[in-house]
Amino acid sequence: MFIQIEPTSDIPIYTQLANQLTELIARGQLKSGETLPSVRSLASDLGVNMHTVNKSYHALEQKGIISIVPKSGAIINSIVSSGITTDNQQKIIEQLKPVIAEAVVFGMIPEEIEQLTTKILKKLKEE
Amino acid sequence: MSLTILIITLAFMIVIQSAIPFLLKRTIVFGVSIPETHTNEQALSSYKRRYARIVFSIGFTLLIAYLIWALVNPLSEDQLVLTGLAIQMGTLLLSMVLYLYFHAKTTQLKRAEEWGSTTKQIRIADLQSHAKDEMLPSSMYALPMIITIGLIAYTASQYRFLPDMIPTHWGPSGQPDAFSPKTPFSAVALLFILLITQGMMMGVNHAIKKSGIKLNAQKKKSSQIQQLAFRKYTSWFMLLTSVLVTILMSFFQLTTIHEGFQNPSLMLALPLGFLFVILIATGVYAFKVGQGGSRIPVAIAEEEFIGSTDYDDDEHWKFGVFYVNKQDPSIFIEKRFGVGWGLNYGNPLGYLLLFAPVVLILLIAFFL
Repeated sequence: MFIQIEPTSDIPIYTQLANQLTELIARGQLKSGETLPSVRSLASDLGVNMHTVNKSYHALEQKGIISIVPKSGAIINSIVSSGITTDNQQKIIEQLKPVIAEAVVFGMIPEEIEQLTTKILKKLKEE
Repeated sequence: MSLTILIITLAFMIVIQSAIPFLLKRTIVFGVSIPETHTNEQALSSYKRRYARIVFSIGFTLLIAYLIWALVNPLSEDQLVLTGLAIQMGTLLLSMVLYLYFHAKTTQLKRAEEWGSTTKQIRIADLQSHAKDEMLPSSMYALPMIITIGLIAYTASQYRFLPDMIPTHWGPSGQPDAFSPKTPFSAVALLFILLITQGMMMGVNHAIKKSGIKLNAQKKKSSQIQQLAFRKYTSWFMLLTSVLVTILMSFFQLTTIHEGFQNPSLMLALPLGFLFVILIATGVYAFKVGQGGSRIPVAIAEEEFIGSTDYDDDEHWKFGVFYVNKQDPSIFIEKRFGVGWGLNYGNPLGYLLLFAPVVLILLIAFFL
């Protein structure tokens, strides 16, 4: 279960890390109930500050994707089967809107955007 | 006797020193990280060969000159040992100077040819790395410590039978050549030094275990297998050293307590055997495992990463030798030049782990 960060990227490392972990959960490689490595071991493997890893764990906790349990570590929550809450849906729309707007500005037509979304979803389900 | 020991260690040192460039990962040349796509450059292999040739030829010329000089002239033991050590130091210094020269040349070459300046740099980690780690648990290192504590207790119980002068140093023949008057402290000083050494090895094992498992982004699977093997064998090597030191020092302590144990041939053979086993183990570690496990064959298909390369952390490597990274919580890191581990000088815990025992041992030696 590999994760990959790009230290010189404009995207902050903690965001990259949170995104990578979310992706692993979406793919089903990280399953609910499993524990993430300790902050120290992940930070030392990546050669980054412990605060960076801590920050991304806390970001994931705030979204309700993982729970941080003292002494046991960061545990993956189960994927919600009853559907998305209105609150979370609102957040997704907020995040998606500027990206889609940007795609339109770059010249993508609605069909292309739909195809792209399907392609990304398919890729997530593949491995 | 001391001539043979000096010649063997010197020859061993020259062979290892000159072989080092070939025992390292191909992606690090003279302490400079080289992108996977450029590891086959002609210039790099010629640097490595030149380094090896110079160290090897000068080293062995000195060794032969020393041997002839020692055999022809009637020399005192002190002259022999001091000159031998001076030659060892000289060879080390020579390889250091050559290293710096080729480090500068490689850095220049990389900059001039702009290797890897256009490719995206990534860093890889496996969430399960540490679960796969097979380093020995600290409890294994505690076993020899229990023996030492037992011996301290035993020495205390035999205190009145101890000789009036306690041996504190042993010469090349295995016979004691320095003594201290008998006090409760001098009676167990050797065992305290042993205990501190064992404790330090346990600490180093623990710290390496906590240190990062750095993978090569281009070869994530095979580099992980090699890294894990390297960690495992490091941990076995250190335990072997700890056990051997324990046997050696416990034996000398027993010869102090019981004169009956003072068997001259055993006292001569044991330190030599110790040296011999350590040299063999070091050779196996260096040539079979290699730095970061780079000599362990791995047959595994890797997915190719086009357009991305491993993160270039040359900026954290001062002279390509000293790793200084305040962000990285690792205490130890694989050496870039040489086989084994180096400190992360950005992490103060490392200083404590290595220097505290040295200071303690020096204090014991001072008060003896």
